[in-house]
Amino acid sequence: MDKVLKTGTTTVALKATDGVVLAADRRASLGGRFVANKNAIKIEPVHDRAAVTISGSVGGGQAFVRQLRVQSDLYETRRDREMSMDALAQTAANVIRGMQAQPLLGGVDVDGTPRVFQIDGAGGVIEDDYTASGSGMTVATGALERLYDPEMSVEEAVDVAAEAIAAASERDTASGNGITVTRITADGVQQDTYDDTTEVLA
Amino acid sequence: MMGNNDRQAYDRNSNIFSPDGRLYQVEYAREAVKQGSASVGIRTNDGVVLAAARRVRSPLLEERSVEKLHKVDEFHGVASAGHVADARQLVDVARRAAQVERLRYGEPITTDQLTTEISEHIQEYTQSGGTRPYGAALLIAGFQDGDARLFETDPSGTAIEWQATAIGGGSDRIREELEEQYDPEMSVEDAVALARDVLTDEDDEDGAEPTIAVITADGYEPRDGGE
Repeated sequence: MDKVLKTGTTTVALKATDGVVLAADRRASLGGRFVANKNAIKIEPVHDRAAVTISGSVGGGQAFVRQLRVQSDLYETRRDREMSMDALAQTAANVIRGMQAQPLLGGVDVDGTPRVFQIDGAGGVIEDDYTASGSGMTVATGALERLYDPEMSVEEAVDVAAEAIAAASERDTASGNGITVTRITADGVQQDTYDDTTEVLA
Repeated sequence: MMGNNDRQAYDRNSNIFSPDGRLYQVEYAREAVKQGSASVGIRTNDGVVLAAARRVRSPLLEERSVEKLHKVDEFHGVASAGHVADARQLVDVARRAAQVERLRYGEPITTDQLTTEISEHIQEYTQSGGTRPYGAALLIAGFQDGDARLFETDPSGTAIEWQATAIGGGSDRIREELEEQYDPEMSVEDAVALARDVLTDEDDEDGAEPTIAVITADGYEPRDGGE
């Protein structure tokens, strides 16, 4: 069995009219066959109005988050203003090279504009309206494809995100054990965890 | 001991304080800036004007080869005073800083960040062994998101923001003239005329027309100094 802890994971990021919603399952697995942890946190704030989801190796994801936070905080302290989402996405791409992580970045610009990016391990940055990552991404993307509507509010988007994580948790062996939901608006980042996706959808 | 020498270590090394807490080499570098001809910066609501006086020492000199104004990126420029060769090095630092910002963050550099980067570089040369301070001062001008900005940085690496100011020889007199005539609501063209006016010294027979550049929403634009 693989000795490195993997998130396995299903994470999604989607834009709403008034913000961004990130969601992830809470399972960490060994070799995708053993549930090593049932309350893993796979969404981390990196900015006052932005957070990333991590998938791939847990260590790689955590190292990426630490580096990106350092860059974001230093930028803000040195320049007395926050990074724009474009600058944060570019910095994430610069930081990630060589790390074992496939994050999604979601955030809201200072003028309230919601932004979602896929970051890849080679430093690629692709902006999108909704996207997924992790071993359950194909199942989650199917749900997003069917349910996503660009006119959704943040609260409606939370339900869509939970449906996507629920569908992936149902069929992907490396995803499950509840859900983390992160709402990002002009007011900041709010993160909640639930032991079951049905608690969000109820 | 240094007792036998005419000059003390603190007088020769830029990284040694004098007993009364001064860095003489940095002060001498400030004097070097005053040996050169003056440069002027004037900020208006719609842009910044940079202008530099030129001394034409000989009728055989090609005026265009005397470079005092430099484009840094599309919306930034600098005017120099003091040692031209030293200033060129700082211009290169500025140009690199502007490009590195794009590489790191995918965004153009802001004028105050550009000033910070240049000033930090200058400061290193007042504290490192085996170096001398830059014998040049810069006016750093930019226009971004509808805001015009004008900064000055000197051989100590100290940066100050101005509405209008002058560096180089005669800068005290020129600044006094600017204090009398500057109007924050003036147009870019009025500022060009004011810059030309304060840099034109009737008593100086070698004085040629100043070179001028403006930075507005349209970007950095050199003007023909001989118009």
